[in-house]
Amino acid sequence: MSLMALRERLNVLVNSMFLEGLLDQQFRQLQMLQDASSPGFVAEVITLFCEDSERMLTELTKLLDQAVVDYQKVDAYVHQLKGSSSSVGAQNVKLACIQFKQFCEENNKEGCLSALNMVKHQYYSLRSKFDTMLQLEQRIQAYDSEQQN
Amino acid sequence: MEEVEKREEGGNDGMLEGGVEVRVLVVDDSPVDRRIVEGLLKKSGAMFQVTSVDSGKRAMEVLGLSEDKTKSPVVDGQKVDIILTDYCMPEMTGYDLLKAVKERSCKKPIPVIVMSSENEPQRINRCRAIGAEDFIIKPLQTNDVLRLRSYARTGPPPPPPPPPPSSSKAGTKRKMTIELMAEAAAVDRKDAGRALPGWRWRDSNHRHRTSAIGSLSYCNY
Repeated sequence: MSLMALRERLNVLVNSMFLEGLLDQQFRQLQMLQDASSPGFVAEVITLFCEDSERMLTELTKLLDQAVVDYQKVDAYVHQLKGSSSSVGAQNVKLACIQFKQFCEENNKEGCLSALNMVKHQYYSLRSKFDTMLQLEQRIQAYDSEQQN
Repeated sequence: MEEVEKREEGGNDGMLEGGVEVRVLVVDDSPVDRRIVEGLLKKSGAMFQVTSVDSGKRAMEVLGLSEDKTKSPVVDGQKVDIILTDYCMPEMTGYDLLKAVKERSCKKPIPVIVMSSENEPQRINRCRAIGAEDFIIKPLQTNDVLRLRSYARTGPPPPPPPPPPSSSKAGTKRKMTIELMAEAAAVDRKDAGRALPGWRWRDSNHRHRTSAIGSLSYCNY
């Protein structure tokens, strides 16, 4: 596939993610921070976000699996996840975290469990599109470094 | 725990011609946010040298303010021009760090800017009351970091604020009364984009407010 076609495919993907509410304007900020001197910035941030989020989702699952739930710890993790999803522009994940926080404050275990499922659902939908995005970025970068040689 | 990350940014060996590099210590427990702030500082073109750490405790070590005398500072405490810290962190919060820095570097207080995802007036006032230079709502934007330079210890002094009607205060240091700060902030809101010193907290990015009242997080004050 030509470089132009790759770029077009990436644009179409990212635009669809905006339209579907997976991403918000904060993601545009990240894109603007990527330039010739840091060509992998977006990929780096996305990767950090995914690693961090999956770690937190694992912890949250464990915490809610306990007979007696430590809501303070749960809230702390949800707060962190809300923060990082807000920072990268992961809108749907952020919104799901806000709902989650609400149930946490009410010490509502059933609510928390369903909210956790929603967060996971939103995260993994985003994750699969991020994966495609990263693959496209990599192929585009490969072209660019070829052209420089 | 992560090692201290140092990033030299900008060309010319990191030095602005005729100017001075601003050394920023970023303190945030979120690896995502740390990386984004580094990216923002680099892109601003204002020649920042960024060191980032993941905890208040680590920040204290780097600043040479740690209780533990065996921890030698990686960065000389005198060589940090600005501290940019997250508010909500486990163990030592941004507020704790702010307090410790202001208390222990009182001869040459290092400017501290606090970042938070929560737009809470109480929280902002608490930070302000113990000497925080500014408070920024997350997620950070490009124009948030642009005004950081004005707080740098080694940067050029910002234009002096207009004197209050009945002030007997003189002096070359950038000391502002609370009233002046509020005034500067009010003027500043009309001139958005100009890097005036003073209190500004913006949340123009917050489309979805959360209720922070009754939050169970470890920084619920």
